[in-house]
Amino acid sequence: MRIKAKLKGDKTEVKVMMKHPMLSYRQAKKKGKEANFIVYVTAKNEGATVFEVSTSQFLSKNPYMKFYFKGGKKGEEVEITWVDLKGNTKTGKAKIK
Amino acid sequence: MQRRKFLGLGAGIFAVAATAPSMLMAENYRKALPKVWKIKNDEKSKGEDLTGVNAAIKAVFGSDKVEEGKIMLKAPEIAENGAVVPVSFKAEGAKKIALLQSADPEALVAIFDVPERGIPDYSVRIKMQQTGHVVVVAEIDGKLYKAEKKVKVTVGGCGG
Repeated sequence: MRIKAKLKGDKTEVKVMMKHPMLSYRQAKKKGKEANFIVYVTAKNEGATVFEVSTSQFLSKNPYMKFYFKGGKKGEEVEITWVDLKGNTKTGKAKIK
Repeated sequence: MQRRKFLGLGAGIFAVAATAPSMLMAENYRKALPKVWKIKNDEKSKGEDLTGVNAAIKAVFGSDKVEEGKIMLKAPEIAENGAVVPVSFKAEGAKKIALLQSADPEALVAIFDVPERGIPDYSVRIKMQQTGHVVVVAEIDGKLYKAEKKVKVTVGGCGG
């Protein structure tokens, strides 16, 4: 997972690229694999949830997202966690620049 | 007597535990609303039929009474590659935002909950297997607002 967090005035901009094939049911069937895709993503800043999304098979492969949240300070951490359909989960961290 | 006290205490703790998650913790709509992700689009309409999209809006928000406005939606007019279609939207004051489209087998793409420190200004990349309408619905002050844009897809993104 690649995360970039940058302070912009009174808000923090976060760009994240999650590594995941995001195989839809149709793509999976063609490839003879099982469908699997990220279904839920959250981001925290110093323990407080600042971003939250439930997702589907129709996000692109290796999903990219950009979002903003209020506050945040340089040097603080942004922690992003995703869960996929099969229950795999991954957490990544980045410091706010 | 002691047993009764114990049971009362137990019920109290249970009540707190049962209400706390919905207030403090985030909502995973994959678990909370498992059926809404299966609402189908009419693929034969070539992305022109929004019946599935409207049904999904109703399933997510409990109503499909939407007004135009308050949402800024950006999506390309023509997407050469349906596998990666950049979509971004802003909806000031929104508490919940749903992203939908009429091009893929099912209508719903994502549901965003906006936490207290969250800012409803999001960009994502989606797959569209054919030309269709991208629809964003946001709940602002208890009302539903909608923005819609047609995206022409030249190479579909769901064939893999």
